[in-house]
Amino acid sequence: MVVGRLGRVLGHPGLVQRMGPDPASLARAWKVAAVGTDVAARWVAHAAVTVAARGAANYPEPLATDLEPPAVVFQLGSTTVLDRPRVAVVGTRRCTRYGHDVAVELGHDLAAAGVAVVSGLALGIDGAAHRGALEAGGGGGAPPVGVVASGLDVVYPRRHRDLWQQVAATGLLLSECPLGSSPEGWRFPARNRVIAALADAVVVVESPGKGGSMYTVEQALRRDVPVLAVPGPVRSPASAGTNHLISEGAVLVRDATDVLIAIGVTPPRRPRTDPRPTATGEARTVLEALGWEPATLDQLIARTGLALGPLSVAVAGLEADGWISRSGPWLERISGPAR
Amino acid sequence: MLAIIPSATLLGVDGRAVSVEVHISNGLPGFTVVGLPDASCREARDRVRAALLSSSLPWPLKRITVNLAPSGLRKVGSGLDLAIAVGVLVALGEVPEEAVRGLAFLGELGLDGSVHPVPGTVPLVDALPGDVAVLPAACAGEARLVGRHLVRPIVRLSEVAFALQGKASWPIHPEPPPAPPAPPPPDLADVRGQPVARRAIEVAAAGGHHLLLVGPPGAGKTMLAQRLPGVLPRLEPAEARLATRIHSAAGVALPPGGIVDRPPFRAPHHSSSMVSLIGGGTASMRPGELSLSTGGVLFLDELGEFLPSALDALRQPLEEGSVRVARARASLTLPARFLLVAAMNPCPCGEAGRPGACRCTEAHRARYRRRLSGPLLDRFDLRVDVHRPDVDELLGGTGGEPSAVVAARVAAARARAVRRGVGCNADLPPGRLDAEAPMSGGARAMLETSLRQGRLSARGLARVRRVALTFADLAGLDGPLRAEEVGQALALRFDPVGLDAAAVA
Repeated sequence: MVVGRLGRVLGHPGLVQRMGPDPASLARAWKVAAVGTDVAARWVAHAAVTVAARGAANYPEPLATDLEPPAVVFQLGSTTVLDRPRVAVVGTRRCTRYGHDVAVELGHDLAAAGVAVVSGLALGIDGAAHRGALEAGGGGGAPPVGVVASGLDVVYPRRHRDLWQQVAATGLLLSECPLGSSPEGWRFPARNRVIAALADAVVVVESPGKGGSMYTVEQALRRDVPVLAVPGPVRSPASAGTNHLISEGAVLVRDATDVLIAIGVTPPRRPRTDPRPTATGEARTVLEALGWEPATLDQLIARTGLALGPLSVAVAGLEADGWISRSGPWLERISGPAR
Repeated sequence: MLAIIPSATLLGVDGRAVSVEVHISNGLPGFTVVGLPDASCREARDRVRAALLSSSLPWPLKRITVNLAPSGLRKVGSGLDLAIAVGVLVALGEVPEEAVRGLAFLGELGLDGSVHPVPGTVPLVDALPGDVAVLPAACAGEARLVGRHLVRPIVRLSEVAFALQGKASWPIHPEPPPAPPAPPPPDLADVRGQPVARRAIEVAAAGGHHLLLVGPPGAGKTMLAQRLPGVLPRLEPAEARLATRIHSAAGVALPPGGIVDRPPFRAPHHSSSMVSLIGGGTASMRPGELSLSTGGVLFLDELGEFLPSALDALRQPLEEGSVRVARARASLTLPARFLLVAAMNPCPCGEAGRPGACRCTEAHRARYRRRLSGPLLDRFDLRVDVHRPDVDELLGGTGGEPSAVVAARVAAARARAVRRGVGCNADLPPGRLDAEAPMSGGARAMLETSLRQGRLSARGLARVRRVALTFADLAGLDGPLRAEEVGQALALRFDPVGLDAAAVA
């Protein structure tokens, strides 16, 4: 019965192509996927993972009424998180320092306001949003929700093993893939649909014109979930998608307050202080010349007219004070104090 | 019936004296060469016979035995042909024994009796005993560089025979007209913009710091590297002699003046084998690219494309300034004291790893990074990114400083290093840094912050201090290092492994 429903709700063309539209071929595909997997051993090792079939009492309520609900949902952690307001904070894996900082800030401030941050635990924006939320969670904020595209015992990306464990420990990890599933490419759009289904609003922090985040947006629009976007420099390829969304009418996000208003939560009053020492003199000149896009030393020399000597002193000072960061040869401005 | 003729063979960058002993006796006609000749040396048999006959000289129908002494040393190449031919003539009695006293012979014979030049003339002549060196006219210029012998240039075997028989005097071959002076090396003034990379070239030249240029294709990495020899000081006489010797031994054409007195610039292709870089390989242990760039610049373009084993083989020479090549038959040390300049792309997509713009996947970038071993990257004191210059800079009127101006500053900075007792600041032992490069409070604080924030390793610390000292030398400053020098040293040492922009999360 369950399989039949899933067969009907496979809206994603990639899924249909892979698994076939009819229940019989879907069942065959599941069987193929399970070959070589010692199911019993996996369940013993992952007894904490709960399974909820559609219609069961422990099936997540937000998904039950969805357009394309997963047939089965695997969960690890506390399912009560889903009773809170939920906001998806998503974006590209290849983010800039700016996007990373905004994602951390949004994750932190939303969680501090009691909103569960839903994201995909991927590299880049997703992970940054989760980290921000986890930090606020330590101070009484809402724990995050991670929706992943592999089995709950297959950590992907492996660099986020610590993040994965922290989200499972304090919040909720959720997947529609059986244990042992590897993160195949076609699972990611399906995962993004679950993120869109879970969220009360979707915030895109940084995304190029095409990509997984834009698919999440598409799915959110199908469900009448409001889509919000963080603007970026018009020349930054990483912000091409978000800027496009704003031009198409997405709500512009400057900080967590904009998001909270969109989902009808009263933002907490909280003064924000910047403990970093004020940049003065040449450091200030350099910071202004840097702006919000990555730049190299060559470009800064051209913009400020400073010689390499004083410029490098200013850069080293700004770096030490937490005003700018370096990735390879690129210098980037850091928006807020380090958390 | 016996003749002993001195000649020489090549091993590494040194010549070894060889006595060619020719014995002619009655018996079954034959020609045997003994004494560890290699293939090209054993073929001397047929060349010598044909050359003698073509020159209307007699060939005995007797048993000829040629021994190349010392017989334990492997003899390579065709340079012994002439000595064997003269030995046959002396042993036959065609040439009186007294005529060859004090003469040494070097040269390859053609079947028509002509005498051809041999590679490695400089070290070979250096190893020749006696006062007179008879050798091909084309080698005469190189032979005179040694300066110990009276050089008798010849072009035909018959000339030697007639001169030794007293039928004619030694031929006089006109000196080839002096070659036009070598074109000046490319000038830094051609480089538009790129203030940081230009500065790095200057610092690398002044302090002998190895340099890694990272940038997308077409950014001008090769152009910059080619301009480095132009700002290096000319070679000292001793260095020039060594460089000339190495070039001669490797059979690389010498510059018009005959002496390699400009810092050499070697840019082996990234498909080069390890042996071609390190040396060895042939029985003569031909010096490799590392040795050829001694005193100058070794430029490895597309560093990531070189064989990993070849790159790892660079590490020991970089530390010691020489390559120890050990083979089953011989082991020897070749000089290899060079300035290493390498260039690589930051990532395959050409967006130079720009955060948010680079389209390379994690796996791509990780694969690119893995090609370079940490220990090798660690040996680059200067790691600089090179960007495509803006259109305005390309079309703009003025170029940068010409090489001559930069070279003057470099020479002054090098002189200060020499007063410290080292060739250049890169050679300064870590133990002497505190005495030679004390730091001001500001410099100390800057380094402390970098160390605490994990942006600088303990090993990197000494390198940054050496580079900062070079900056001070270039500025002509005495006293403790200021924050400005240390800041520049830090700025010219970015972490190419951190090209991975997405690692911010």
